[in-house]
Amino acid sequence: MIKVSGVTKKFPARLAVDNVSFEVERGEIVGFLGPNGAGKTTTMRMLTGYLPMNAGKIEVAGFDIAKDPQEVRRRIGYLPESCPLYPEMRVDEYLRFRAELKGVKAPARKAKMNEVKEQCGLTDVGKRIIGQLSKGYRQRVGLADSLIHDPDLLILDEPTVGLDPYQIRQVRELIKQLSDRHTILLSTHILPEVEAICERIMIINEGKIVASDTEQNLHRKLHACSIIEMEIMADKNEVVSRIGGMEGMDIRNASELDAGWVWLEIEADSSAMRVELFNLAVTEGWALRELTEQEHSLEDTFVQITRNAGGAQ
Amino acid sequence: MRTFLSLFKKEVRTCFLSPIAFVVMFFFWVLTGLNFWWLLVQLADGESLMMATQQMFGGLICFSLLVIVPLITMRLFAEERKLGTLESLLTTPLTAAELVAAKFAGSLVFYVVLWLPVVAYTIIQQKLSPVEALQFPDFGALRAGFLGVVLVGGLYIAIGLLMSSLTSNQIVAAISGFALLSILFFSTLFMAYTAPSPAVRLVGQYLSPYAHLLDFSRGMVDSRTIVLYLSYTAWFLFAAVKVVESKRT
Repeated sequence: MIKVSGVTKKFPARLAVDNVSFEVERGEIVGFLGPNGAGKTTTMRMLTGYLPMNAGKIEVAGFDIAKDPQEVRRRIGYLPESCPLYPEMRVDEYLRFRAELKGVKAPARKAKMNEVKEQCGLTDVGKRIIGQLSKGYRQRVGLADSLIHDPDLLILDEPTVGLDPYQIRQVRELIKQLSDRHTILLSTHILPEVEAICERIMIINEGKIVASDTEQNLHRKLHACSIIEMEIMADKNEVVSRIGGMEGMDIRNASELDAGWVWLEIEADSSAMRVELFNLAVTEGWALRELTEQEHSLEDTFVQITRNAGGAQ
Repeated sequence: MRTFLSLFKKEVRTCFLSPIAFVVMFFFWVLTGLNFWWLLVQLADGESLMMATQQMFGGLICFSLLVIVPLITMRLFAEERKLGTLESLLTTPLTAAELVAAKFAGSLVFYVVLWLPVVAYTIIQQKLSPVEALQFPDFGALRAGFLGVVLVGGLYIAIGLLMSSLTSNQIVAAISGFALLSILFFSTLFMAYTAPSPAVRLVGQYLSPYAHLLDFSRGMVDSRTIVLYLSYTAWFLFAAVKVVESKRT
């Protein structure tokens, strides 16, 4: 669906996107992650043909964006980051205007408008003036606009930014429903969103794609070691020296809790080493009330990937 | 063409819905109304009708256009940039040329509507004047005068539109439009009427919108002037298309 090869974008003061290549298959939902200023929006703007690139090639649905920008735009539904709308227009007016611009023919227009309004929960606000709608509704109007011409590819730049948790959940549900019919590329820096929606994650940092894989694979690649948390009843210094002296274990953190309990965070070569810790506690006669392996959050992975990439430069 | 039409419809509506439109209409209609009243006073004092159409379509009214037109055009692109809607427009299959053309046409319609009361005044003068000597002898000069203000207005709108396409700040668009129009208007005016060298004065008369409006409202339709205005207008619109295509941030 999308084929990006060697795309570079320079702005006067900086290199925004640096020789980026990736592909998105038809029907995929891809989450585009990155810190602020990493080049997410710039990349998306180049995909929609809004910004020209300095080098490289972008193909959408088999059309080269430099040669057939019109054909590409016909196939893309784009929700820009700030969700720009005309505040003085009514919802119905706006959707009709956008449908006309995107070449939705008159006989189908009415039905299409009703369909996207229902999908986005806008049926009751068709007559309302956009400027008087809440942020959540405006976001839905933007989303409805991006769907109105039934595009093959949806490009959503931070679709849930500025929404309350309930609205975020609604938008997320909507995006999930849409994934049956559309290929979706969505950018965000809200990580639970990506975990909840996306099949594949692409992380961009300082203009470069630093990772592109499923969430599980990303974790697996990054975290060769595992983090074990342990709480035992023993003398802190003794525990630290004993466990720290074992092969393949490092104490990251240790602190004394109330009533003689000690909490430890241990970096171990594998999670199987929990057995050794248990055996140690048994032989030493330490009471043990917790021994768990930490789950890696996407947040850890994200921070680590972007930090590694930053350090490498 | 369909895209152009829907853009054009939207443009006309937005033009008439904006509060600034009502302010502009109010002041322009007060000015043209006063102008007509003054004409009637002069006629009542026994002045001849010789200068009447010139006063309706040329003369002092010319000066007000330097302010009025930038006020109409300032929002055209500056507002789209500010709202970010330029991005959503340019990511649909429309072209920058269609967008510029629609905005130009929409503003021109509003501008023509501004002049409609003046047309009405001339008809009132013609139909209601009890004395035949105070009726316009024919509508030719009136038609030419109207053609003149539309041509000059078209050029002014194209200049204002270009200025608006360069910025996301409406005030900047309005002031730079006003500045550019004033330079065009006054430099040619002074060349045409106060330059010591006859050659410079001749060039000034070829270029001055003030002189052209006086000529048109005298019934003098010069094809050279028409070509001059149409090509100027086309050039500024072309420049605006290039700006919209290239200035995307």
